[in-house]
Amino acid sequence: MKTKVFLTTALFLLVTATTFAQNSEKLVSSNTHIRFFSTTPAEDIEANNYTSTGALTKTSGEVVFSVPMQGFEFEKRLMQKHFNNKDFLDTQEFPRARFVGKITNLDAVDFSKDGTYNANVEGEMTIKGKTNPVKESGTVTVKGNTAQVKSVFGITLADYGITFVKGKPSSNIAKTVEVTLVADFTEE
Amino acid sequence: MGLYLFNMPHRDVQNTKTDFSLTSSALVAEYLTDQNAANEKYLAADGESKILEVSGTVSKISENFNGQKVVLLKDQSDKAGVSATFTEETAEQVSAIQVGQTIRIKGVIRSGATYDQDLGLYENVILEKSAIVK
Repeated sequence: MKTKVFLTTALFLLVTATTFAQNSEKLVSSNTHIRFFSTTPAEDIEANNYTSTGALTKTSGEVVFSVPMQGFEFEKRLMQKHFNNKDFLDTQEFPRARFVGKITNLDAVDFSKDGTYNANVEGEMTIKGKTNPVKESGTVTVKGNTAQVKSVFGITLADYGITFVKGKPSSNIAKTVEVTLVADFTEE
Repeated sequence: MGLYLFNMPHRDVQNTKTDFSLTSSALVAEYLTDQNAANEKYLAADGESKILEVSGTVSKISENFNGQKVVLLKDQSDKAGVSATFTEETAEQVSAIQVGQTIRIKGVIRSGATYDQDLGLYENVILEKSAIVK
């Protein structure tokens, strides 16, 4: 009887420990800020999005972001409508953009020690249904069981089939827009 | 006319008629059953998507990078919930509510719920420009 209780307890502890170990490998983020900024001699255009979800696996360095496209807010209503419509991002047909990648210098990021580390990331970005390979860099700031990820990178609109040949957009929207990402990751 | 369009103010979500009233569970279930049909029904091509009133149980209250209050409506038995971002004007309403309470929130839908294999997570329905409806 005693042996049985012992074994059951041991098994329970093992299962619990394994579950916890698996959980803490993965960090998730629902507190994010993605800003895009376009500058041309004609005007500067900015949009902000606080609605994305991210996941970061500490052991493999896998990084994933899912970005609801209708969550981008512009100062001007008309710009926001243009951004969403069929000719630009077609957000009804393609409601999310995504990034799936990996930290390639994982040895340089110590998730067990507080600090800010430079991270290189390689992966695939999908916007408006088109996928391109991307290589970016950023920082990971570890604090206890949390991590903050920051990155600034450029997106060339034509790579995702977003082109303007005439009218105001062709002169007022930059060919490459600057994207700034901040995401707070915590344990699930 | 051109200048008027250029300066056209944003839609006032709270003073616009509600398109659909439903529970957080029903909305999540609709999305998890057929994402494309739900997007077709709720998302507009110009981004000015449907205005919903969603009732459900408050499971989390947080704040985003913009300093806005975010309330998650999610029943314990559901895999995903409805995440509602409040505005500067409606933020005060959030201080009066607690986790576990059942409330009704009005806001504009930005995206639906889905299971994302790469994330290994269920994504919540996102509402913005939210306010509590009495």
